[in-house]
Amino acid sequence: MPTRREPGDLLQGTLGILILKSLLLGPAHGYAISRWIEETTSDVLRIEEGSLYPALRRLQDRGLVQSEWGLSENNRRARFYTITTAGRKHLRNEAEVWLRYSQAVTRVLRVEPAIA
Amino acid sequence: MTSGHGWRRYLRFVRPDPAADVDDEIAFHIKMRVERNIALGMSPEDASRDAIERFGDHAPVREELVHHDQRQQVRAERAEYVSDFMRDIKLGARSLRRAPGFTIAAALTLALGIGANSAIFSVVNAVVLQPLPYAQPDRLVAVGQGSMGEYLGLRDRLRTIVDLAAWVPQAHPVDDGRDALRLNGVAVTTNLMPMLGAAPLVGHGFTAHDGTPGNNDVVLISYGLWRRQFASAPDVVGRKISIEGLPCTIIGVMPPSFHYPSDDVEYWQPYAINPANLGLMWGVGGKRFIGRLAPDATIDRARREVHSVWPSLRRTNPLWDPGADYRVNATAAPLKADLVGGSASLLWLLFGSTLLVLLIACVNVANLLLARATSRERELAVRAALGGGRGRLVRQLVTEGLVLAVIGATAGIAIGWAIVRGLVANMPAGIPRGNEISMNGPVLAFTLGVAVVTGILFSLAPALRATSAGRSTSAGVGLGRRSTIGRSHARVSGVLVAAEVALAVLLVVASVLLVRSFVALGAIAPGFETTQIVAARISAPAGKYGAYSSRTPRLLAFYEDVLRRAQAIPGVRSAALVDQLPLAAPVNGVAVRVQGQFEDAKHTLPFIQHMQTVSPGYFAAMGIPLLRGRAFDDNDGADQPPVAIVSRSVARQFWPNGDAVGKRLGYPFDSPWLTVVGVVPDTKQDSLRDTSNVSIYMPWSQRSLLVGSELWLVTRTVGDPAAAGAAIRRLVAEIDRSVPVSDVRTMDAVVADSMSGSRFTMLLVGAFALLALTLGAVGIYGVMSYLVSERTREMGIRIALGASAAGVVGLVVGRAARLAVAGTIVGIAAALVATRFLRDWLYGVSPTDPVTFSVVPLLFLGVAVLASYAPARRATRADPAAALRAD
Repeated sequence: MPTRREPGDLLQGTLGILILKSLLLGPAHGYAISRWIEETTSDVLRIEEGSLYPALRRLQDRGLVQSEWGLSENNRRARFYTITTAGRKHLRNEAEVWLRYSQAVTRVLRVEPAIA
Repeated sequence: MTSGHGWRRYLRFVRPDPAADVDDEIAFHIKMRVERNIALGMSPEDASRDAIERFGDHAPVREELVHHDQRQQVRAERAEYVSDFMRDIKLGARSLRRAPGFTIAAALTLALGIGANSAIFSVVNAVVLQPLPYAQPDRLVAVGQGSMGEYLGLRDRLRTIVDLAAWVPQAHPVDDGRDALRLNGVAVTTNLMPMLGAAPLVGHGFTAHDGTPGNNDVVLISYGLWRRQFASAPDVVGRKISIEGLPCTIIGVMPPSFHYPSDDVEYWQPYAINPANLGLMWGVGGKRFIGRLAPDATIDRARREVHSVWPSLRRTNPLWDPGADYRVNATAAPLKADLVGGSASLLWLLFGSTLLVLLIACVNVANLLLARATSRERELAVRAALGGGRGRLVRQLVTEGLVLAVIGATAGIAIGWAIVRGLVANMPAGIPRGNEISMNGPVLAFTLGVAVVTGILFSLAPALRATSAGRSTSAGVGLGRRSTIGRSHARVSGVLVAAEVALAVLLVVASVLLVRSFVALGAIAPGFETTQIVAARISAPAGKYGAYSSRTPRLLAFYEDVLRRAQAIPGVRSAALVDQLPLAAPVNGVAVRVQGQFEDAKHTLPFIQHMQTVSPGYFAAMGIPLLRGRAFDDNDGADQPPVAIVSRSVARQFWPNGDAVGKRLGYPFDSPWLTVVGVVPDTKQDSLRDTSNVSIYMPWSQRSLLVGSELWLVTRTVGDPAAAGAAIRRLVAEIDRSVPVSDVRTMDAVVADSMSGSRFTMLLVGAFALLALTLGAVGIYGVMSYLVSERTREMGIRIALGASAAGVVGLVVGRAARLAVAGTIVGIAAALVATRFLRDWLYGVSPTDPVTFSVVPLLFLGVAVLASYAPARRATRADPAAALRAD
């Protein structure tokens, strides 16, 4: 089975962070998560929506999210995902790493001479 | 598709369906996106296309999710099952701890049943089930018995058997320089041990050369003998010991597991085949043959071939033509069947008894659980109401039962271990492979299996009852329904108790029959006196004193010396010698010629089952009266005309009209006639059950070549038999310390030992029957107590309405009696069918003995009355006022 790459420039594991972050707002089904990512990033990080679900399963296997069936806002059966305590802790650590990393890269890019 | 989908959707209520769930999840996503697209103003076609495009590659995602979720579900179910089971175990253990009285009673009951079962199973396993510890044991066959001449003939002719060996037991005096012992040994053809795949632990085995005349002065000793007599000395090979007074070189020690052909064998010697000695080759039988099947042969083909080949050997007998009466001991049986023989059925009988005991124990525990279920009604109803579901609840109760069974089995293993030790120590002679008996892995596995099966057996019915439909609604039920529920419980309990009584009746009938047989056996007069008579076996080594040749002066002098000194022992009134002591071992017989009737040794001769060679004082010492003529006396010397004494049946058989005294008979070959000088009564010889009453006696001083060098000394004493025994040992040692004295016992002990097999069976079955009876009584007591406690109110009302105490007692006892009668009727019917399998163990009592079959029901009726009397008395104390208030 060929490993599916996250589309665009999305780094491996970044999708997981986005999902966890979206779940901080409360339990959500897959579609809501993808909508949230879409809106918060103003569609900059376009993800193939189908890849959301294997990513959710991986988070679930690692105990970072839980899922259960419920009814959606328009009364349809949907699977809702909830972030666990372990998930919150993981998000905190990852976010810290990510922020430090991106700050470092930003700093490098801003050093004289300017790029353009 | 849609209908199928709908169906699957329905199934999901029973069990999650990961594939359908994944489809639902994906479909939901797409649908939501399509709806948003339309809301944003797209045409429906564009909206779907966009939604599908955004979702990406649909098929691999679906496949990955389904695969993942299915695996997940299996894992979850397994984990749930295990955690449920662990929780049930914990719950069960807790609820058992809360009711210690119940738990101890139930576990003890089970422990007795399981312990008895696994003990007997360990014997059955070792003796009957385990393969023999030889190479390819299922290809070994026992091929009858006969003379060495027949052995050679069979060995050369049989095609279905590739290798044939012969062995003959021999018990000889063995002197290792320290002690003179009489040891059981075997003479074997030199191919026997390689055939069995057995090799010495130390040293080497026999070579073909060892089996030739004059070269068989080598010996292999048992591991036990090596340890006891040689302190496991590593340099034992090469040492010399004296067997029968002849020096033999130890060439090896057999491994501790090797005991062929029986547990008590201490040494093996090569049998030297000498075809030139016709008398030894054809005149002496008793050699046992075992062989290995040819690769393409079956046991049936071997049996057919043996049956056709063996009779043709008769023509090759150079000594005499045994005629039509030629005793063809043609068999071909698997070696294990031959070795285990009749003891297999005894062991299965005992095993069956323990199974009955275990069943009774199960019924008792089921009853206890049933009674307990009533007190737990509320707990169970609450649990059911909380949504456990009936199946889940049953599973929990059965798990509790398993916990109980495992506790019982653990205690049972300890009990079983103790029983096995007792059994092995008291095993009657004749049960083979006793040394292999132990509580080993297979036995423990069996016990565990029994625990699981019994756990399910005794807990399933109460669990189903306790959780049955009506029950689960009783959470809020008050006292009003109590008595009816109690009554229906009592009905089930009643059936169980009746079943228990039936099983116990079966066992008790069997044991009473065995006891009556034993008593009948013990009441048989052997025809000689047994008290104050001490017997001792004295084994003069033939190599030193001579044997197989008549009138060796040294041997004669030795035993005459023994006899003279024995008569001088203080308290000894008379002493005598006999070659084969009655009831100690089968007493061999002889074919005879009878003057004027059967004179031609070439033709079939009548056979007298028992022949004994005795010194003149034998009849007086044993208290056997003379009916006619005279006893032997000192004048019947070697140089005098040969004489004989016969038993009454022999006299009647050959000389029905006249006096046997003065008539003549003879050995089955050309030899001088023996004149009958006296007639004595028939006596028991082989065993108390022996019905072949024919015996012939010869004077020891005229003894023939058929007599070995070993004799029994019998002394009649007025003093302490033990002192006489010690005196006998002393006097023999004084004459020659290399002559072993063995089996010094009173004749009472000889008789008792001859009954040891019957006693063993009787005691074991009796113990199991007693256990069954006790458990049955406890069962009746338990159910009646329960019944009375459930119906206290009813009793109170009855008393209030003027019922007498006697009436109430009668009510309760009557109910118990009805149960006992119902159970007894079933048990007696079963016993009438089953006891026919006991026939082999019965003596003097029929399998449908009317006394037994009428006493046992009375016994059970009595037990029922006794067991229910205490609960009945309790019922009369029911307080009418309290009963009415409770309403």
